[in-house]
Amino acid sequence: MADYVPAKAMPDRLPAARPSRSGRKPGQSRAMTGVWNTIAVVFGLVMAFPIYWMILTTVKSNKDLLTQNPTFWPSHFTFTSYHTVFADPDFLNSMKNTAIITVGSVVAGLAVGFLAAVAVARFRFRGRNPFIVAILIVQMVPLLSIAIPLYIVLNKAGLYDQYLGVIIAYLVFTIPYVVWTLRSFIVNIPIELDEAAMVDGCTRWGAFFRIVLPLSLPGLVTTGVYAWIQAWNEFILANTLLSSNDKRTSMVWLSFYSSDPTHGADYGAQMAGALMVSLPVIILFVIFQKKVASGLTAGAVKG
Amino acid sequence: MSAIQSDRREESADRLDGPAPAPSAGRRRGLAVQGRYIPYVLILPAVVTLVGVMLYPLIRVILLSFQNVNSYLKLAVPSLDRWIGFDGFSKVLSDAQFWQVVERSFLFTVEVVILSVGLGLLFALLLNRVSPWAKIFVVTCLMFVWAIPALVTGTVFRWLFAGIGGVADYICYLLGGSGMKNHDWFANPTQGLYVVVAASVIWGALPFLVLGLNAAMTQVPKELVEAATVDGANPVQSFRHVVLPIIRPFLLLCTSLSFIWDFQVFTQIWSLRQNSPEPGYWTVGIYLYEEGFTSSHYSNSSVISVAMILLMLAVLVAYIRQVVKIGGQG
Repeated sequence: MADYVPAKAMPDRLPAARPSRSGRKPGQSRAMTGVWNTIAVVFGLVMAFPIYWMILTTVKSNKDLLTQNPTFWPSHFTFTSYHTVFADPDFLNSMKNTAIITVGSVVAGLAVGFLAAVAVARFRFRGRNPFIVAILIVQMVPLLSIAIPLYIVLNKAGLYDQYLGVIIAYLVFTIPYVVWTLRSFIVNIPIELDEAAMVDGCTRWGAFFRIVLPLSLPGLVTTGVYAWIQAWNEFILANTLLSSNDKRTSMVWLSFYSSDPTHGADYGAQMAGALMVSLPVIILFVIFQKKVASGLTAGAVKG
Repeated sequence: MSAIQSDRREESADRLDGPAPAPSAGRRRGLAVQGRYIPYVLILPAVVTLVGVMLYPLIRVILLSFQNVNSYLKLAVPSLDRWIGFDGFSKVLSDAQFWQVVERSFLFTVEVVILSVGLGLLFALLLNRVSPWAKIFVVTCLMFVWAIPALVTGTVFRWLFAGIGGVADYICYLLGGSGMKNHDWFANPTQGLYVVVAASVIWGALPFLVLGLNAAMTQVPKELVEAATVDGANPVQSFRHVVLPIIRPFLLLCTSLSFIWDFQVFTQIWSLRQNSPEPGYWTVGIYLYEEGFTSSHYSNSSVISVAMILLMLAVLVAYIRQVVKIGGQG
């Protein structure tokens, strides 16, 4: 395994006053950089391998898939796995369901969360700190532990097995994240802008919607992307709060598809399905790479 | 990390010139008096929603754990429900299976937390040392891994470790394990859980840990590390005494987060075992799901939920305190 820090090349007792060449720190020899680079590349390849294998499997023929010695490159490319998946009528329907639920929970989460974030960022009020701590606690309560009462509550409200029920349930993780992240965006907008608008005749509310809202747009995009990913990937609540076949989200579809007797051993189709249901998230990650990374690290909530 | 840092800066700026119109804030007084209700109106929708989807269900779980709602009929006809005090708790807690499940969850969590945070730390350090192109390569790979949903991770790992055609067997065979061909990784739940499930969870957690810890390390001033080296500190010493104290808050944060996530692991096990995990794979999350939704023992399941939250409480409290401290919210 990789050793702790950089300069292993340097003997312990050597006085380290060696002048650094070409920007390298003292004690970082070129040879060692090569070794560390190699280890890093191997690590990257190992991490990427399951994804490579997933994609590779989708274009392999059945004959390739069942051989004793798996090949690391297909003998010929075939797209039958994709045909199998798209031939399943539930697949596209489940993608549509996921899209509806995701969009609903993102929009609702942003709307509700934005208002609360303005309150927390712009006002000092009694109950502000308890509210913030409550938001943090809510983020950390395991979803599984409230799955049963949520099921009971939604059942009673007639929202069990409805898109709306799941959308409302998803607010449990979108709102806290949106409040927590947007807060820091809004704090960065100078309050003088609000005041200037109010001097010019805007109401307090007008200032929120004409000044704060447009200026926090980048923050809304970042948090929206994150909330999208969370909602798209969610499995536990979708699995417990929806029951009919035609309302399943794509994650639930995948879990059923890959465990039903007909497709349980058809790994080509399973991997094609797995790739298709993750594709929207992968695309978002590629587009918003930097923002998502910093947003996820800051919010530090990925289940 | 950078966002956390900038947060702290904002908060202190916040305190200095107080953008929030506190009643005593002199010239902003007029606005504050008229608008005192405004923040409450603003947080109202969030509060109402969270009470509805979080607080009420939480209270309901606690109430259910003191009732005997252990069949669908009792759920549908509330007049049949009875309060049974701690009987439900004593029933569940005297079940040997419960303690097996708890023990298994703890062992699994400890294993995964140590391995994922340890590996995360090592590779975060490595990223500091490699050439820029190598770093970009690794970060790109990690971003793709990060994008993979947990359920898909489980599905893919089931295929990687499949008994027939699985590539893990084959790689073990190529590496010299001659008996490894067609090895069934899941036949023995101990192996399945602590090797395959653990591998899938660690794989999914590493991008966050490596990139987060690496971002934390970039906050360490280069001069400090160089000064330590000049003073004769070896790499381990300079890590321990210079880098570690600076990244400590974030390290604690992601250790407790990993604990919280890994203790309630569900999705990966669920899909690795094709929606019906054998009892040998039951961690607390799976156990409470099986009790609640498969067997309709709602009250028993609630007892397990309450127990799970209590078992996680110490770490949860530590985590929230840490976030509050870093966020400077006090």
